[in-house]
Amino acid sequence: MHPDTTASLPNSATSQAELLYQAQQRKDRQFRINVSLSWIILLLFLLFLFSGQNFSLGPFTFSTIKIDRLFITDNLVFIAGGLGETIRISLVSITFATVLALLAALGRLSPAPPIYALSTFYVSLMRGTPLLLQIFFFFLALPQLGIILPGFWAGVFALSLNYGAYMSEIFRAGLSSVGKGQREAAIALGMTPGQTMRRIVLPQALRFAIPPTGNEFIAMTKDSALVAVTGFVHELMWRATKVGRAQFHNLEALVMAAIFYWIMTLILTALQSRIETRLARGDR
Amino acid sequence: MASIVQVSNLDKYFGRLHVLKQVSVEVTSREVVCIIGRSGSGKSTLLRCINFLEEPSFGTIEVDGLKVDASEKGKERRQLIHDIRLKTGMVFQEFNLFPHMSVLENVIEGPVTVKGMDRAKAIKLAEENLDSVGLLFKKDEYPNRLSGGQKQRVAIARALTMEPRVMLFDEPTSALDPELIGEVLNVMKKVAKDGMTMLVVTHEMGFAREVADRVLVMADGEIIEDSKPDQLFSKPKDPRTKALIDRYRTGGN
Repeated sequence: MHPDTTASLPNSATSQAELLYQAQQRKDRQFRINVSLSWIILLLFLLFLFSGQNFSLGPFTFSTIKIDRLFITDNLVFIAGGLGETIRISLVSITFATVLALLAALGRLSPAPPIYALSTFYVSLMRGTPLLLQIFFFFLALPQLGIILPGFWAGVFALSLNYGAYMSEIFRAGLSSVGKGQREAAIALGMTPGQTMRRIVLPQALRFAIPPTGNEFIAMTKDSALVAVTGFVHELMWRATKVGRAQFHNLEALVMAAIFYWIMTLILTALQSRIETRLARGDR
Repeated sequence: MASIVQVSNLDKYFGRLHVLKQVSVEVTSREVVCIIGRSGSGKSTLLRCINFLEEPSFGTIEVDGLKVDASEKGKERRQLIHDIRLKTGMVFQEFNLFPHMSVLENVIEGPVTVKGMDRAKAIKLAEENLDSVGLLFKKDEYPNRLSGGQKQRVAIARALTMEPRVMLFDEPTSALDPELIGEVLNVMKKVAKDGMTMLVVTHEMGFAREVADRVLVMADGEIIEDSKPDQLFSKPKDPRTKALIDRYRTGGN
């Protein structure tokens, strides 16, 4: 694979291995180039669909979707202003969700029946009901009990509890990826169960859990759009629907919001794959 | 000679399976005792009961004056078990080095975390032990960069750095490629020569013959023979022992 490994081989073998290696490299590079080109073509096609042009083919005339450019330039700043709130909700929620997920996963390992039950009960309840319902519950149902949460916190609690339940599976898989031998080695050294967990099991489990947690974070930035239903959190989706409805330009508004979400996702995905390669390079 | 390990009337059940039947063993200071037997004979379970990686069902374990009976419960017992673990070093078949720590960190982990030893002091001790297994030059590597034999030598250094009274080896060479077995056995011989009390579960008949003071043969959860290696290998008393030895002889061991 690596060119250096061929250096010690005899001359004829070196050149042959080198040729094969180079051919493989060319093939890989060509594949990547072709994929990128295809992406650009698809993107251009999408742009064309929204170009608002008329053209005729023989007796038929076609027109693509017309976008009101003025609306876009007028409302760009307003809609982009929701980015900060979207990111804020997602960051706060993923933090809480991670803590909840870890606790739920540890609860799953507990020999105490009430703790085990609490963990499975929580996961079942949160995964068994819609996220949208949970958001409404925190925002609209709790006030009936005298608990009034601002829209932001209703959204954060719902997202955290919901994602925490899903992510507990990730941490559970992470914890069980650490072999029994690791615990036994720690115990044989005289470590307490707490020390074993903190020093030996968790560091390995968390490393395992980082990439899928990244996926959940990306998913959450998009699900944060649901918080718009409270009407009090001025994130991307809320802003897009507000101006879209008011001026009957929902098409433009939603396309703008979609582009923002997409770009955010692309950036986060790129970040995540960097983290993943760094972890893969580590000491496993 | 003072006894370091005393196992009395030990029974162990796995579910309905009776894997140890009234086993008693005494190991005195500086003694090297090898335990041989077919797989499933209970030899690993016996070893793992000594530091309570397995809970014995009945019987008592005594290590360096610390005595725990299987029937006891409670906080005091937990403390005793903890203290027994501090007096026993364990080496596993699968090495079980911590993959997220460098070699040096692996070796100082016990003394620093468990004993609260000063880090600098632990590093000094760890480096001495790594040097004695011939791997000081690998101290900053991570375990996945080591060969199986090197991993096992680090694992031995890790156990030694806890300064135990007795070392327990659970088939330390069974997971190794044949050409890597020698380096581990050599380190074990050196540990024995330095006067460490050792209990070794092994299939290496050559090692047992050369290094052991006593060899225990286990079959069906019982110790069927307990003799000096010369006697055991030349005149086995039990036909099962003879079959075991013959099997390894023809197997090239």
